[in-house]
Amino acid sequence: METNQLLRHLNESVGAEHVTDEPTACAPFSVGGVAPALVVAPDSIAELAQVLAAAHAAQALVVPWGGGTKQRMGGRLAQAATPLLVVRTQRLSRIVEYEPADLTISVEAGISMAGLAATLAEHNQMLPVDVALPAHATLGGVLATAADGPRRLGYGTMRDLLIGIQVVEATGRVSKAGGMVVKNVSGFDMMKLYLGSFGSLAIIASANFKLIPRPRAAATVLCSFPTLEAAFGLADAIQQSQLNPVAVEFLSGLNETAADACQLAVLAEGLPAAVERHVRDVSQMAEKVGAVEVQTLRFDDHAAFWQRINDLPQVAELAPGEMVLRLTCLPAEMGSTLANAASLASRGGLKLLTDARALSGVAYLRLAGSGWQPLQDYYNALVARWPNLAVLAAPADAPASLAGWGRDPAGLALMQQIKREFDPQGRLNPGRFVV
Amino acid sequence: MNRTQLIEELRRIVGPRGLVHRQEDLLTYDADGCVMDTGEPHVVVVPETTAQVAAVVKLAARAGVPIVPRGAGTGLSGGATPIQGGIVVSTARMDKVLEVDVRNGRARVQPGVINFELSQQLKPYGYQFAPDPSSQKACTVGGNIANNSGGPHCLKYGITASHVLGLEVVLPSGEVIWTGDGTPQTAGYDLTGVLTGSEGTIGLVTEAWVKLTRLPEAVRVVLALFPDIAGSSATVSQVIASGLLPAALEIMDRLAIKAVNDMYKLGLPEAAGAALLIEVDGVEDGLDELLHEITAICQRNGALEVRPARTLDEQTRVWAARKNAFGAMGRLAPTYYLVDTVVPRTKLPYTLEQVGVIAKDYNLPIANVFHAGDGNLHPLILFDRRNQSQNQRALEAATQVMHVSIEQGGVISGEHGIGVEKQDYMTLLFSTDDLAAMAGLHQSFDPLDLFNPGKVFPKGKGCGELAALRRAGVEWGALKAAGMM
Repeated sequence: METNQLLRHLNESVGAEHVTDEPTACAPFSVGGVAPALVVAPDSIAELAQVLAAAHAAQALVVPWGGGTKQRMGGRLAQAATPLLVVRTQRLSRIVEYEPADLTISVEAGISMAGLAATLAEHNQMLPVDVALPAHATLGGVLATAADGPRRLGYGTMRDLLIGIQVVEATGRVSKAGGMVVKNVSGFDMMKLYLGSFGSLAIIASANFKLIPRPRAAATVLCSFPTLEAAFGLADAIQQSQLNPVAVEFLSGLNETAADACQLAVLAEGLPAAVERHVRDVSQMAEKVGAVEVQTLRFDDHAAFWQRINDLPQVAELAPGEMVLRLTCLPAEMGSTLANAASLASRGGLKLLTDARALSGVAYLRLAGSGWQPLQDYYNALVARWPNLAVLAAPADAPASLAGWGRDPAGLALMQQIKREFDPQGRLNPGRFVV
Repeated sequence: MNRTQLIEELRRIVGPRGLVHRQEDLLTYDADGCVMDTGEPHVVVVPETTAQVAAVVKLAARAGVPIVPRGAGTGLSGGATPIQGGIVVSTARMDKVLEVDVRNGRARVQPGVINFELSQQLKPYGYQFAPDPSSQKACTVGGNIANNSGGPHCLKYGITASHVLGLEVVLPSGEVIWTGDGTPQTAGYDLTGVLTGSEGTIGLVTEAWVKLTRLPEAVRVVLALFPDIAGSSATVSQVIASGLLPAALEIMDRLAIKAVNDMYKLGLPEAAGAALLIEVDGVEDGLDELLHEITAICQRNGALEVRPARTLDEQTRVWAARKNAFGAMGRLAPTYYLVDTVVPRTKLPYTLEQVGVIAKDYNLPIANVFHAGDGNLHPLILFDRRNQSQNQRALEAATQVMHVSIEQGGVISGEHGIGVEKQDYMTLLFSTDDLAAMAGLHQSFDPLDLFNPGKVFPKGKGCGELAALRRAGVEWGALKAAGMM
C-alpha cells in the first residue's frame, strides 16, 4: 500500500487535522535521524486501534511517541522500504477512573507525569516514580522504557505499582490484563511483559496503578565527601541499619572542588518523628565516615533539589559530544563499579557526571568528550565487565555500535520468540529492542 | 512409550528414591488443597537437582506426557492437580536455602523451601522473606512464585512478584535458563515477571533469587472489635487516608470470631460483629503516637473494645487468631470452600453484604476473614462434602461471589490463582482478545502445551487454539458473532 493510501485511511480514522505528511512537520519526530513519512495523533483507544490496523495493512513501520523525551534510547531503527509512521499518544491523556479512597487510578498513556502527579496531589496521594522531565515525559513512555526514580528504594518501580494495562497490538487488536485492584492473580501478568518492552510488542494505551498516600513529613540529608569510598561508606552503614530511607542517591561530578567531589543524598519520608530520627542518625553516621559537610534540606529546597536530581539522566537534550549510559549491577558492587567507571573516564579524557541509586544497583553516567571514538572506547571497556550497560543516548554521528542495551541477556532466544509471536512482521519499533 | 517404560526411564534419571509409582502412593498426588477436582498422575518424580528436572522434562516431551509441577500441594485452585495425568514433579527434595547474600539483599533458594522456614533462616541476619500466605508453615517458595502469592503483609510489602529477583527455570524445551540474579533493569523482556504467577504452565522453577526484606525495628498491632463490618471498614479507610500505609489490615466477621474464640479461648466479646487487626511498623520513633491515633480512629468509629499489642508476645497471640482462622473453621463445619476474590477497597462493605445475602440464598453459613487493606475477600462457605446438595450449593454460592465481585469492579482471584477451579470464569473477566494475548505469551514458551496443561485458560478454549486464531488474524468480532468463541 502506498503512503498516500495510508494517509487517506488515517485521515478517515482520526481527522485530517491530526495527521501530517508535511516534511517540516514530520522532521521533529525523527528517530535516529530518520524522519517519518507520517505522524498521527489518535484521540481515543478505538482510534489508536484503527490507526494500527491501517498501518498494519500498509506494512508501515510504527514508532510510538509519547513526550519524545527518550527517543534517543534503543538500538538503531531497522529501515525498510515501507513508510515510517509515528503514532503520538499526546491526545490520549484522560483520567479514565480515579476513586481516591481505593488508592487506585486508571489513566491513558499520553498523560504527562507532572499532570498525573498534580491530579494525585489534590487528593494527597502519589505515584512515587520520579522521572526526568515530568512536564514532558508521558506515562506511556515511562512504562515502555521502565524508567525508574530515586525513590525506588522505598517504593519500588512501575513494576511494583502497575496493576492493569490496556494495549493495542500491531494488528490493531486491543487487549487488557490485570484490573483495578491492588492484588490480582487472575490470568498471566501481562503488565510485566509490556512494561519496559519499548513499544516492541504493542502500544500501551492505558494503565492502572496502585497509589501511595503522601507522607506526612519528608526531609533530605545531603552529605558531601571528598571520595567515592567515603560516600559509599555511608551508603553501607545505612544498608546495615534498620533505617528505611526512601532514596539514597550518590552524586559525583556536580561540584568542581575536590573536597566535596561526591555527595550522598538521603531522603526520608513518613511520620514526622521517624523522619527526624533519620535526619539525626544519618547526619551522625555521615560524620563518622568522614563527611565534610552535612546539610538538611526541607520544604522547597528539598523539593527543588530532587527535581534537579530526577532530571540528571534526561536524554531529551544532549550537549555536543555527550553520551548517557545506564549501568546496572548487584547493589553491593555499585561503589567499586563506579570507582572503575570514574577512573576509566579520567584515563579516556572524558568528563563524567554520575547519578546512582546507591543501594539499588542502578547508575546513570553522563559522559562528555570530543568526538564519538573516545566514547566508544569507554563503552567497550565498560561493557566488557558490566554487561548490563544501556546506551540511553549517544552523539548523533556515532555508529550503530554505540547504541542499544549492552550484552545479550540470557533467554534472548525466548525473548525473540515472544517478539515474533506478538509482532511477526517486525513492525513495532523494529531494531530498537530485542533483535 | 508405555507406562512401564516411562517409569524405567524415570528411575534412571531420578533413582529409585525419587520415584513414586505404586497406585496407592499416587493417591496423595491426585489433588491439592482444592478438592473439587482430582486427577490421577501416571507417575510422580521427586528430583533433587535441576539436571534431573531437565532430563525428566525432555523425557516427557519425547513421551508426549504432561508435566505437572507440585510444591507442598497447599494450593486452593487445583494448580497442582494432574487433571490430564502425566508426570507430577514434586519439589519436596529440593528444599535448601543455598545462599544468603545480605549485602545484595538476596537469597538463592530451591523451590521446595517452606516459606516460613525461609524467613526463620533469615531472621538471624535481621531479614525476612516478606510474602506470608496464611499457609506459610506448609507452602513452598516455588508454589508462592507459581501463584504469585500474597498474604497479610503484602499490603505494604507487595506481592510475591515484587520479591523475586531471578529464576532458574526448566523450559518446556528442557533448556535451563537463569532469568536474573538481582541486577535491576536488565536488557530484554521481563521473563522473571511473566514466569511469576504463571501457575507452572510455562516453566518449572528449580532455583530462585528472592529478595530479602529488613525486619522492621519496631512493630505495633491493634486489635479492635466493632459491632459490625461497617465500623471496621470505615476505620480502614480513615487509617489509610491519614497518610500511612499499615503493614497489614485484616478483618474477621462474627462467625470467624466465634470459631477462633472457641478454639483459642481469646475471650473476644460475643457482641462483636467484626474484629479488625491493624499492624504498623517502621523505626521506633513515632510509632506509639501512631498507635494512639489509630486507637482514636477506632473509637470514633464505634469500636467496642481496642486492644493494643505492644509486646511481641501480645502481638503473636493476636496474630495467631487471624493466621489460624481457617483451621478454626473445623469447629463450625466439616468442610469449607474458601473463595478468593478482590474488589476495590471501597466496595468491600457492599460486597460483604451481598455475601451475606448469598449465604441466605444458598442456606449455607459463610464466615469472612479477609485482607481489608487491599480489598481481598476470603468468604469461607461452610458445608458438608458428604451432602450432595450442600456440595452443589457451595459451588453455586462461590460462583455468585465471583459474579458479585466482578460487578463491583473486582477480579476472580487475588492470590490463590486460577488453576482448574476458576478457569471457566476467566471469560467473565477477560475478552477473547485478552485471553489470546495471554495465549500468545504461553505459546512462546510452551508450544506443545506440555506444562500443566488444561489450566488457567477456559476449558474448550485451549491456549493453542486461541494463539492459532490470533496468529491467523481472525476477526474476533465475527467469530464471536458466529458463536465460535
